[in-house]
Amino acid sequence: MTAADSTRPAPLRLGVSTVGLAVPLLVLGAVAMTTHRFLSLDNARAILASSAFVGITAIGATLVMIAGSGVSLAASQTATVVAMFFLATQQLGLAAAVLIALAAGATLTALQGAIVGYWHANPIVLSIAAGFAIGGATTWFSGGTPVYPRTRAFDVLNGTPFGLPLAVYVLLAVTLLAELTLRRTTAGRQMYLVGENRAAARAAGLPVGRVTVIAWACFGVCIALTGVFLASFTTSATVTLGGTLTLDAIAAVLVGGTAITGGRGSALRTLGGAVLISVISDVLLLRGFSTGIQILVKGILVLAVVVTVHLRTTRGRQ
Amino acid sequence: MMRRWVARPEAVMPLVSILVVLGAFGCSPLLNGKPLQVFDVYNALQGFAQLGLLALAIGLTMIAGEFDLSVVGTYALGGMLAVQLGAKSPVLGVLAALGAGAAVGLVQGALIARLRIASMPVTLATYIALLGLTYAMSGGLSKSYPNSAATLWVDQSLGGVFSPRSLLTLTAFLIAAAVLGFTKLGRELRAIGSDRRASRVAGVRVDRRLIAVFTISGVLAALGGALLSYSYASANPDPGLQPLILAAVAALLGGVSLAGGRGAPLGVLAGALSVAVLAQIVAVTALPDFTTQLLYAALLAVIVAIESPGLRASLDRLRARHADG
Repeated sequence: MTAADSTRPAPLRLGVSTVGLAVPLLVLGAVAMTTHRFLSLDNARAILASSAFVGITAIGATLVMIAGSGVSLAASQTATVVAMFFLATQQLGLAAAVLIALAAGATLTALQGAIVGYWHANPIVLSIAAGFAIGGATTWFSGGTPVYPRTRAFDVLNGTPFGLPLAVYVLLAVTLLAELTLRRTTAGRQMYLVGENRAAARAAGLPVGRVTVIAWACFGVCIALTGVFLASFTTSATVTLGGTLTLDAIAAVLVGGTAITGGRGSALRTLGGAVLISVISDVLLLRGFSTGIQILVKGILVLAVVVTVHLRTTRGRQ
Repeated sequence: MMRRWVARPEAVMPLVSILVVLGAFGCSPLLNGKPLQVFDVYNALQGFAQLGLLALAIGLTMIAGEFDLSVVGTYALGGMLAVQLGAKSPVLGVLAALGAGAAVGLVQGALIARLRIASMPVTLATYIALLGLTYAMSGGLSKSYPNSAATLWVDQSLGGVFSPRSLLTLTAFLIAAAVLGFTKLGRELRAIGSDRRASRVAGVRVDRRLIAVFTISGVLAALGGALLSYSYASANPDPGLQPLILAAVAALLGGVSLAGGRGAPLGVLAGALSVAVLAQIVAVTALPDFTTQLLYAALLAVIVAIESPGLRASLDRLRARHADG
């Protein structure tokens, strides 16, 4: 019995909740198909492009959630500080700047993972503290003014090979890597076990601390990638660059059906969640609904999925 | 001695934090050379009014072992409703906000209690939905509030340091403290927060209490939002996460634990006052803005250190080794 098996409930038990998932998806499909201009290549591109930035961070957040650390509330601030590092080091060359950015993101986030993993600190309190520390330090060092790059080596990252933004390819690559890590590596398998039951994992001699640090480090790399793309896209970085990244990423993970309690979920599901949110926003946009309605529907969607996933898993256990 | 203190953080933390912060507030003239004004105290209490009801709302849910992220959504919605419906009659606006807050809390509480589902994802979803609703109501723009009589009323100075807004906030805390202190509700909430199954077995009506806590949390958050938008004479459709985070910091400083089962309204009061006075110290001494963030980070680091079982265990091990060696 592994955690992967428990993510696949037995087919006979699914009556109500399968219908509960299938009907809204069919309705969405029907509405989307009948929406003018939805079925076009340009629109498909737009959907993928808009899910890329949040999606990359969400993939990292998935690992942390599977490993049972719940959520981090410092993603926006981390992405911002990484973006500033990236732009400030442009003169060293693109590769060096990207590496510095990724290292910064991984270090800042893995440190939090270490405190959560080895000292069992509450991840929410800790990440709020980290958010304040990172945000405060960012304002301190940047003087509250935007950071502008000295050279524009990053323009390559705004490229659109084969018509899709580079960030979309990175999102797909990150998803694949995360999925392989979760399914095929020891660390990935251990993430499920630690998330399923931390005390049991420790009793069984699993390296709970190390597994947690690895999950958070991967999260940090993903946040850093988002930060790098945000920086390249906006070509300057202010202290508010990260925006609503923190909660948008959590929303994508939840819509993908990963449980906040840990132990189940997958990177592919999160990709699905991120794309689903983009599709719904896109349909509403094409049909002329305001931003407010788009956000409202996103919230209702998250709520519906959270409740459905919860009902499914608890019914599976009984 | 020290160990006993650390073992009862819910009593020590709020007391220490409020004393330290008030001490620093008293010493702030040493830094900027200007004596403290009565107006500075008034301002600190205004900051407390802005944050207090939200802190109480989130604090009550935390005592019961839940974490209500949606309070900041209710806060925004309450502010928007009060501004849009209370132009003629401010009381009507506040009542509309309170009704909406109660409805939101009731629905969430029922979902969380009956389905036994984790509150964090549910309230996150509600937060996003409420933000969207507020956005849709205002077209994404700030709405100004034309009733200047109400704006002047809520912020008028009473006795130099108070305003109706800060007094209302204080009253809410005192009522909550009295209700939780003098009835069995306080013990029940802490029981629900620390061991839900055991409290069910012991005959506590867990579901009802949870629904009530979320409803009250919604009402408090909506009231806070309504009073704030009367004070600003405008309602902001997206307050961001900052109010939520500060409210959580206030509750944590007040000795409430995110794990649940610990804390009391008077502690949260001390926590909210600490956060507000700290912001006022930074304003009075003209320190740069980021200092506030770094101070909050430092305070939370202390909380993380006190609350981490693993850290305490490793410190104990170190001390034991030291004693042996």
